[in-house]
Order: sequence, then C-alpha cells, then structure tokens
Amino acid sequence: MFAMIIRRMVQLVFLLIGITFIVFMAMHIAPGDPASIIGGPTATKTDIIQIRERLGLDRPIIIQYLDYLNGLLHGDLGISFQTNRSVAEEIWIRLPNTVNLAVASVIVSILIGIPLGIISALKRNSWLDVFSTTVSLGGISVPHFWLGAIFILIFAVHLKWLPVGGLHAPFWTPQGFKEIILPAITLGTGSAAMTARMTRSAMLEIIRADFVRTARAKGVKERAVIWVHCLRNAMIPVVTVIGLNFGGLLGGTIITEQVFAINGVGRLMIESISARDFPMVQGGVLLIATIFVVINLLVDIVYALIDPRINYD
Amino acid sequence: MSLDAAGQEIVKEMENQLNRNYFLKGIKVLFKQPLALVGFAIILIQIILAVGANWLTAYDPTAQDLSHVNLPIGSEHHWLGTDNYGRDMWSRLIYGARISLIIGFTSVSLGTIAGTILGLLAGYFRVLDGIIMRISDLMFAFPGILLALLIVAILGSSLVNVVIAISIWSVPSCARIVRGNVLTVKKQEYITAMRSLGAGHLRIIFKHILPNSLAPIIVFGAMHMATAILSTSSLSYLGLGADPATPEWGAMISNGQQYMWQAPHLVIIPGIAIALVVFAFNVVGDALRDVLDPNMNIDQL
Amino acid sequence: MKKSKKVMGLVLSVLFFIGLVLTGCSNQSSESSSGKSSGKSNTPQEITYASTSKVVGLSPIMTNDSVSANVITQIYETLFVKDPDTMEIKPNLAESYENPDPKTWVIHLRKNIKFTDGTPFNAEAVKYTFDKLRDPKTGAPRASLLAAVDTITVKDDYTVVIKTKQPYGPMLAALAHYNSSIVSPTADKKQDLMKKPVGTGPFMLKEWVAGDHITLVKNPNYWKGAPKLDKVTFKVVPDVNTAISMLQTGDVDFLDGIPAEQWSRVQGMAGVKTLKKTGTPVSYLGFNVRHKPFSELKFRQAIAYAIDRDAYVKQLNGLGTKSNSIIGPKVFGYDPSAEKVGYEYNPEKAKQILKENGWEGMTIHMLVANTPGYMKMGEIVQDQLKKVGLKVDMQTMEWGTFLDVSKQDKFDITFLGWSNSTADGSELLYPNLHSDNIGASNVTAYNNPEFDKLVNESRFTVDQKVRKKKLDEANKMAIKDAPWIVMNHGVVTLAYRDNVKGLNIDPTGEWSLYPVYKE
Repeated sequence: MFAMIIRRMVQLVFLLIGITFIVFMAMHIAPGDPASIIGGPTATKTDIIQIRERLGLDRPIIIQYLDYLNGLLHGDLGISFQTNRSVAEEIWIRLPNTVNLAVASVIVSILIGIPLGIISALKRNSWLDVFSTTVSLGGISVPHFWLGAIFILIFAVHLKWLPVGGLHAPFWTPQGFKEIILPAITLGTGSAAMTARMTRSAMLEIIRADFVRTARAKGVKERAVIWVHCLRNAMIPVVTVIGLNFGGLLGGTIITEQVFAINGVGRLMIESISARDFPMVQGGVLLIATIFVVINLLVDIVYALIDPRINYD
Repeated sequence: MSLDAAGQEIVKEMENQLNRNYFLKGIKVLFKQPLALVGFAIILIQIILAVGANWLTAYDPTAQDLSHVNLPIGSEHHWLGTDNYGRDMWSRLIYGARISLIIGFTSVSLGTIAGTILGLLAGYFRVLDGIIMRISDLMFAFPGILLALLIVAILGSSLVNVVIAISIWSVPSCARIVRGNVLTVKKQEYITAMRSLGAGHLRIIFKHILPNSLAPIIVFGAMHMATAILSTSSLSYLGLGADPATPEWGAMISNGQQYMWQAPHLVIIPGIAIALVVFAFNVVGDALRDVLDPNMNIDQL
Repeated sequence: MKKSKKVMGLVLSVLFFIGLVLTGCSNQSSESSSGKSSGKSNTPQEITYASTSKVVGLSPIMTNDSVSANVITQIYETLFVKDPDTMEIKPNLAESYENPDPKTWVIHLRKNIKFTDGTPFNAEAVKYTFDKLRDPKTGAPRASLLAAVDTITVKDDYTVVIKTKQPYGPMLAALAHYNSSIVSPTADKKQDLMKKPVGTGPFMLKEWVAGDHITLVKNPNYWKGAPKLDKVTFKVVPDVNTAISMLQTGDVDFLDGIPAEQWSRVQGMAGVKTLKKTGTPVSYLGFNVRHKPFSELKFRQAIAYAIDRDAYVKQLNGLGTKSNSIIGPKVFGYDPSAEKVGYEYNPEKAKQILKENGWEGMTIHMLVANTPGYMKMGEIVQDQLKKVGLKVDMQTMEWGTFLDVSKQDKFDITFLGWSNSTADGSELLYPNLHSDNIGASNVTAYNNPEFDKLVNESRFTVDQKVRKKKLDEANKMAIKDAPWIVMNHGVVTLAYRDNVKGLNIDPTGEWSLYPVYKE
C-alpha cells in the first residue's frame, strides 16, 4: 500500500514533466504568435520584434524550455505574457471559483443522481425506472451552453429569482448559494446521469448478494434491508465514480464558466490558449493534471482501504 | 502452424456458445426496453434524414436569401422557418443530421480503432503495457474539452480537425477498456489451450481475443457517439468548430444565440436535435451494455 | 399492463422536457413591464460596466487593446484630447503648443497638476513617459506611435520640446491617443503600472480581482474638480447574451459595442436607453495582391461588382453605414466626393468580367477571423460570390492565429477592420496600405509608389490643409485601385440604464466617466 503510494508519486513527477514538454512544444508549434497578439493589428514589424525580445521568444526553443523547467523546479511557474502577473497568482485567484463550482455541481449530481438510481433499481423495469433513466440521460444529452442560456432566460431574466451570472462567494453563504444554483445545476445534470447509472447497477448487484438474502430470510424489514444493508454497500462504487467525476469536472467547468461569467480556471485556459499566453497555458494544464492525478490516487487509496480484496502490489 | 483438429473444435464450440448467448439475449432484452426502442427509432430517423437529405428538401442549406430572414416556424415555403441569413432551417437541420452522423461516426471509428489496437497490445504483451498505459495516463490527465481545445488551437479550426481532436481524446479510454477485457479473456482456458497448441500471437489476438472484446468496444462506441456529437457542438460554441456556413448543429446554436430573443427557433430546433440524438445514442449504449456485459443482468430477462 | 406503464413513463418524461423548453419560450412574451427602477433621491453614485474580455493591464505603455483602454482612459490623461462631437484636437494636460519650425513641437504644460501618488505632473514626467514608450527595450506594443520622434527635451519645468526626424503631420493625433497617456515616473520606477496604475485622471484603482472585476474610486483632488461618481466597477462577462441579460436585470448599468444582432433586443428593453453615433472604425474586404489574379485590377473590380453591400449593411440593423470611401466620414482626410469613386453592385457586370477573362468557376481561399462581425461578412460574401460563379473556400480561425496568418502569404481574400483610434487619415493609410508595412499591418501587400508618395506627403507636413488634400487624393486613388472593398463604416453604441446621466461616446468608441452621474 505504502509502496504503491510512493510509486505513484514518482510516476506523477514524470507524468507532469512529460505534460510540460508536450504542452510547451505544442504551443510553440501552433500557429499564432504571442507577440503579434500583444501588438494587435496596429503593430509594425519593429514593434513585434521588440515584443518578442522582451518575452524572450527570440531564443532557441530548447533554451526556452530548459529555462522554464528550471523555474518550475524552483517552484516558479513564470510570468504571464499578457498581464505581466505571476502565473501562480493568476491561477490562485481563480481556483476557488472553479472548485466552488465543481463541488456544488457534484452535490447537485448526488442529489439528483442517487435518488434516481435508487428508484430505478428498486422499481426495475417499471415506468418509474423508465422515467428516471430518461431524466438522467436527458440531462447528459443537452448541451451545457444551451441549457445554461435557457436557465438564464427563465430564472434570471424573466422570473428574476436568481442572478444572471458571476460567482463571488462560497456556495454555502447566502450570496454564493444564489449565484451557484444555475451553474451548478447546468453542470451537475451531466454527471447526475453517471451517478444514477452507477447507483442503479450497484444497487441491483447488492440486492442479489447473499448477505441481503440472509437478512431478508432472517426477517429484517424490507425497508431496513434496503436502507441499511443495500444502500451502504452500494455506495462504495458510487463514491468512486463521484470522485473520478470530480477530477473530470475541473476541466468540464470551462463552458459553464463562460456562460455564467464565472472567473474560473477553465475560462482562464480558454483566454490563455487563444492569446497564446504560453506560461499561463502550461501552468494551468499542469495544475489541472496534478489535481486529476492526485484525486485518482486518493480514490484508489480509499478503494483499497474499503475493499481488502484489491491488491495494488 | 497446424492445429490439432480436436482442439480447434473445442475452441470453436466454446466461442460459439458465448456468442449465441449474447445475441439471443441481446435481441430479447432490447425489445423489452422501451427506451432502447425509442433510441433506435431516433437513430433510424436520423440516418434516413441524413441519407435522404438531397431528396427531402428543395433548398440548398447554405443558400442565403437576405430578403427573408428569421422567418418563424410554419412559414410558407419554409415550414421550420429560416435563419438570420434566410437559409431554410429544415434543410439545415437535415443536412446537419448528416454532418453530425459523419463526425460522430468517423471520430468514433478512428478513436476506437486506435484505442483497440493499443488496448490489445497493452493487454496482450506485458512489455508494452507499461509504456502504453503511462501515455494514456498522460492523456487522461488533460480534461477532454481542454485537450480538444489545444489540438484545435494547434491544427486550426475546421471540422476535420475537430474530428481528429475528438478521436484522439477517445483513444485512451478505449484503450483502457479493451486492455481490461483482454486481461480477463487472456486468462480463459481456451486461450491457454490455443497457446499450448502452438497458435501465433497475431492469430490469437485477432481471431480469438478481439472477437471476445467486441462487446465492450461496441458499448464504448455507442456511448462515445453521444460524447462526440456533444463535444463538436461545444467546440462550435467556443468558435472552434465548423465554419459558420456549414449546417453543423452546434454552430447553428452558437450562431442563433445572438437572435435568441427575436427568433428562438434558431436555437431551439438544433438544440432539440442535438439533445434527441445524443439521448438516443446514450440509451442505446446503455441498453447494449446491459445486454453485452455478462457480469451483470444475467437475470435481467 | 406492465408495458402500458412503461409507455406512460416515457410519455411523462417527454412531456417533462417539452414543458421545460416551452417555459423557456412562452415566458419570453410575458415580460416588458419588468425592469423599472424606483427613482430614489439618494442614489449611490456607483456604476457598473461589463466587457466581454478581461482587462489585460493598466499601463498605457504596455497595452494595446480596447478593453484595457476603457479603464486606462479613466485613470490617465493625455496632453491633447479629441472633442467627442467635432473630433477637433484640443489641449488637455497641455495648455498650448507652437511649431517654431515644422520639425519642432514646443508644448507648454498645465501647472499645479499632481499624479494620484503625489508626484507633480511636469515636463520631466512627459519626457519620461515618451522615452519609455519609444525605448526598444520596453517592447511596447504601440512604440510605433512615436516612431517619428527624434529627441525629447525638457526646456523648463512646464515646457517640453519634441523634435521629429521629418515634419510630422499626425503628431497631435498621436499625442491624443491613449497609448501616449502620461504616467507617474516615480510610480513606474517603483511598481508595475500594469497592476498598480498611477495617472492624473479622475479615477484611481481601488481593487482588482484579475479576470473578474476592477473597482475604481474617484480622485478627490482631480484638477478639473472631483467627479460625481464615487465608485466604478468594470466587470468581465464573456458571453454577450449574459451581459445583455445583466443590463436588463440592472446588474450592469451600461454596455458599449452592442452587436448588431442584439440591437433590437436592447432597444426594446424597459428601463434601458441607447445611444449610437457614426464612428471611425472601418471594416473591409482585402485582396492579397501578391496572388494572381488578385493582383489584377479587373478581377478586383469584378469582385467589387459582385458584392451587394446594401444587403450586407441591412443585416447590421443600423449599426453600420455603407460607404465607398476608405477614409470614413469621421476621420480626418474625408471628403464626401470620395463616395462617387467606388464600384456599385452590378452582378451582371461582374459575371461578364469573369467570363471575359476566363476566371469563372475559380476557387478563392477566404480567411476569416472567428469573431461574429467578420464571420457575418465572410458568410454573406461567400454566398454572393457563389452567385456570380466563383467558388469560395472559407477558412475560419481564432483571432490570435488570424493575426499571425494574415501577415503571411496564406490567403486570397480576408476581412479586417481598423478602429482609427487617432481619427487621422494618415494613421489609416500609412499602416494599412503603404508599402513600408507589408508583412505587418499592410496585410493586402498593396504596393503603389504613387500612392506611397501621396501618403508620405500627408504625413511629412504640418500644414493641415495640405494634409487634407493629399489624403483625399490618396484615398480616391486607393478606392479606384481597390486593394480594399469597404464593407461598412462602424457605428459606435452605448446601452445604459435610464437613471445613468451624462454618458457620451466619441466616434472612436471612447467614453469618459468624468461627467457621469446617477439619478
């Protein structure tokens, strides 16, 4: 177990270096020059040459990469080409918003997904099953940007119940709660389907398991069988899926952040990619990848702790 | 490399049994699931529209008529109205059905083929396993849409590049699924039997392991059709997909959003189309999984 | 029995979704009375503005984008300013100027002005700012603005002498441009002005959450008297639909640059007022004259005849005007007679020219930046060229890629615009069509020595009458020669809540919040 963690950590370091290399090279190969973007359409040739020199883009690409890597090893993510601010600072400002949104939408997906999953497992092949499957799969099928726009139209513009956009407080505060509802539902409906599906199949499997049969045979009340025996055991795989989902959500927030004017890491990534702000893109990808890998590792550890049958060594 | 006749017979029998069970059960289950039937029906309609687009409308989906813009649903000559350039919405819708099928199908096939090959190699040859899985970890660490964004930024925005981006994105997950399956199949008795009978690696992989891994690949493919269609529309929303004249549904929505208040049908029609089709592929994928995944649903019948 | 229940479930869920969508549609007719604000007497003097992209930085020296400019112009000031209505250039931080000879500008500065960090505004500060902007090491995006300058000297505390290499006509226009705003030298040496700006303007930076919002507060010691607004918030709202919804709900007090598609929606909103003015920006179709047959006048004429610009401009819903002239009506150097020079829509003639020269059925590679305005031009022109028998292969790309690719030889026709933020014709014709700038801002690679000569003559004299005449001649020559086909001249717009007073916009799209207050 311990050896597994150490091994994965070592792998993580190599993985991240691999990612920086790929992203670095990819961004440099990509058409589009950060200097001509900073210069804008008015820039003359001299303007652009001077900007390139200031950004250090006139040096050989390998030197630039080694320089970047050197900074990275000293914990320096570099300076944004566009804003002159440190990349770490830019990300740090936005990270809470993204995490806020991701956590809230995971909660939404649990609130929607688990009940739907339980209903369809218990009333398997009934009209309730069909209904909840349709609702959960319907949620995953609607494009986020479309759903978001329609939500804004209904609940913010016409009914005026909720703000149109922005996110400036954690979701458990009154202001944050109002601000997060629409984005969290928009984003959460997608992963709700996965949670529901997982809950359903886990429940089905458990219901058939021996210990449940034994419990039934012993005369435990049906309700207790379901709530105490089934649900608790069915939650193990469900928690895994939710955990993995969370990692994926950090990237999935991009569109939702765009629609609801949330100042998050996803939006920063879009802006930086289109501005060819190399250090910013590298820093952001690195961060998202690290979070993703770490969450994966945590999920594996939790899994191993819960289920002694799994052996990673 | 001759096989002992008796051995061959046994292996065949084992495989046949497996396959026959799948398909019989499969068909029965599918017809018991109303949702799957609806899904199939939607996909069938989409295919009919896509194939028959040329005959089902008199209008070129890209031909503009600037004197008849934003006509509402139910207008004379244009039963689904026109868009902001006076293009017929019905013909854009059905040509869009063709585009989304083509995009979904090509990107899923490309991604699945590459993923399957990598997965087979990784699962079968232990030497390759480490390196292939590390690379797939590396790609996994990029969130999907971000990976697609990067790829499109490098290659430039066009439908072809969107297809490439989405295929690449689906490679690692497909590889993982196949690898997992290969690992299980590899341990089964008849494969060991074949090995001891002297069968070559390629023969075992393609004639025996691959057919037995098809079930999860098909499920993955169906599910991924949904993802591919949805992602294309998201990329178009970010301005990185089809060029705006192309009747791609996502591009139609992002173009129509500007007119949401005067002409809501520009957004609602393609939005419903995407949702229906994605939904259909999702339920069909779900049903296929129920049928083809032997670990569960034994008593589903 | 069981089956019918399943069907019922299905029907139920379908109804559920239809219901969702329908509430979306039906609700939209039931508004109109909403959005009226109650007119309280003690309205807080606070105002909120939204832009669709983030402010990059707040140093006039290091930025060159309109979103940053919107904030910078509230914090800093220039020596000269353009009158928002007449476009006449008037002294601002400068008091007066004289030209003892055509290459020398003696500028007398206003006294008793301080930067918000307490540094006095004087000749030293002006020299410091301009030298920094010009210094190649600075790598300023708009260093070229002062490229004509040779030396800057401090004559006394309140007199600066600028010497140019040649007589330089657009000098005042350059000094009125926001990129030549004067910065506090002490602040610039101490801190990064991109993050912590210090100017002489009516507002100062209070708070900046990068990517989300910027809050400015009033400069109580502003030399013209403190502004009426106490606080100004600049929000970032990337989706323009969301931004307009925020205007409707009152989360945002005003917006500028309303897209043509949204104009009627904004106009119909209760509690919202709009303002529009003919502006300086010009949008054009450019030929890559390095390529055949785009290098031939006949071919360019055929395309010009093939494009129905009236139909295109009609799509702009009034937010764009049709004109043949490259120099627009609000830009120095415009003469109405230029309108008669260009080529009007005549598809028959276009077909005839194409046929005579064997250009029928040719495929044109069209490069389009993926912003809504250019895509609209691209889509319409693509269809119109198709109607005269040409094939158009349209390639769209992100703005960042486009800026790079358009400077290379990789397209046949493209669309681009020029904001004319100096409102001076020389600053339009020289960067865009003069052969000096091929490979940079002259994307069409237009190269005409006669034209170059006229443009130079307009630049290298300080006699404004001569300048105007030369610009008019150059303008007409370029219109006839058609390296560009002008798609439209821009209209600048504002939409604001009706309790916002005193807001005005100048033809270059700039606005000042100094006179603004809330009722």
